Amino acid sequence: AAGSSGGPGTPCRHHAQLGACESRAKYREGWRPRAVKVYTINLESRYLLIQGVPALGVMKELVEQFALYGAIEEYHALDEYPAEQFTEVYLIKFKKLQCARMAKKKMDERSFFGSLLHVCYAPEFETVQETREKLQDRRKYIAKATNQRDCFVSKKVEGPKKTASKNSEHDCPWSTLESHVASYWDPSCFTSSPGVSHNTAYPSGNQNQSLLTSPHYDNNCAEISGYVGQNTSLTPSVHPGGHTPPASLMQQRMVPAYSGIDRFMPRTTHLQERKRKREEGNKFSLIGTSEDNTEVVIGPQLPEVPKVDMDDESLNTSATLIRNKLKEVADSVSTTSVEKPESSSAKPLVKQRRRI
Amino acid sequence: MELGRLEYLQALVTEFQVTDSTEAKEQVLANLANFAYDPSNYEYLRQLQVLDLFLDMLTEDSETLVEFAMGGLCNLCLDKTNKEYILEANGVEPIINCLSSSNEETVMSAVTTLMFLTTPRSRAQTTALPVVECMLRFSLSANTRLSNLASIFLQDYCSPPQVEEARNLSRHTAVGIPLPKD
Repeated sequence: AAGSSGGPGTPCRHHAQLGACESRAKYREGWRPRAVKVYTINLESRYLLIQGVPALGVMKELVEQFALYGAIEEYHALDEYPAEQFTEVYLIKFKKLQCARMAKKKMDERSFFGSLLHVCYAPEFETVQETREKLQDRRKYIAKATNQRDCFVSKKVEGPKKTASKNSEHDCPWSTLESHVASYWDPSCFTSSPGVSHNTAYPSGNQNQSLLTSPHYDNNCAEISGYVGQNTSLTPSVHPGGHTPPASLMQQRMVPAYSGIDRFMPRTTHLQERKRKREEGNKFSLIGTSEDNTEVVIGPQLPEVPKVDMDDESLNTSATLIRNKLKEVADSVSTTSVEKPESSSAKPLVKQRRRI
Repeated sequence: MELGRLEYLQALVTEFQVTDSTEAKEQVLANLANFAYDPSNYEYLRQLQVLDLFLDMLTEDSETLVEFAMGGLCNLCLDKTNKEYILEANGVEPIINCLSSSNEETVMSAVTTLMFLTTPRSRAQTTALPVVECMLRFSLSANTRLSNLASIFLQDYCSPPQVEEARNLSRHTAVGIPLPKD
């Protein structure tokens, strides 16, 4: 590639696959050979570029594979991008950065229909607003992880002082590091913050990740009704203690991974609308949680199950069914009945898990 | 695990200081810069004076070392303690100088770092006229990543009078911070 960083759809230097470093000192050799590269928030993106996809008409399978790591907002082939003979290049846009990060980590250098995939971030596809939100999310994540925020909400979520914990959707509705900077951004636009980082491992995080990539997961997700039926067998590791999986996992379960590529049709992103709905829901859940919670919370509170409006009746129904099933599994004594799909304002009670 | 992490980071820093190999230096610096992405490492990195290391590397001849160091700073500068440390150490100046690098990653890390370092007290420095003028030109760049970042800088961190002043200046002056070469 010429290496020029042009607009989206042209080869950029940051797409180039660097050779793995051969000369690392033993003590810092990782599991897999890695190139020498620094990842900053600028390089990361919800957009992933996938090269090396065999030109066999496998777009559906490709998207299904990537959807295992999180909800996908958009995807399409990049016909103008230079590709090796008999291969195609695709762009996949995840709903969340941390999902894109995981997908990249797992799918890069993976064999796919006999061809080796090369997956990289494609931040050049971001709009100004998307870049802005990405930076804001990073800001919020750091503020939360280092416990440096002025929380305007009086009822605080209990938790330890400093943990790079999983993202909590019902955190403070807004965070301000300095009043000056606060004046520059809209406090009502908040999204969940990225939780996973490059060089640490979270024990419970890994547990959920293995859930994501375990082979039997594909079968269980074949149909939504089948999924609900097999839910107890799918989540044996979730049951003890009854904790909710992180938001990204929940998001992912809500995207049915069954046949029918129409499920992955690029949907016009009503991002602002969903975000607004989610925010309103979260505001109530934040205040509501503190009042409802009569249990002693030890350890960081895990995120509430986010109420996602899928803008689709059947998907909402499915999502609600899954949510309820998980709630049943989480509660040792189930006293609640299945919520009606219309009551999108109702939120399931989540048993707090004691974190080791 | 906590102890292991500190020892590991210490080993990295030691290797960096001791080694003659350019390759090893680059690898270790990249490693540290990536560790700087994770807040759970910040205490250790401060203890090991890695922030100073990053700042020192900004004036190196090696484009790669500058790129990695700038990336490391970008990764850790949002933390309040780190931010104050960098500002106290007069870190803004070398970071502004990175805006004239021919390495696009260095430039982008510098733009983002300046945004993250902007506080009521540092604002005068991080949004000084030459910087705003530079961002104006970056915002017109064909490089979408760079133009996005520069636009956010101008919209979110500069006041309209500041932007206007820079615009007037660039109309009359040829001297300025050059765009990064590809």
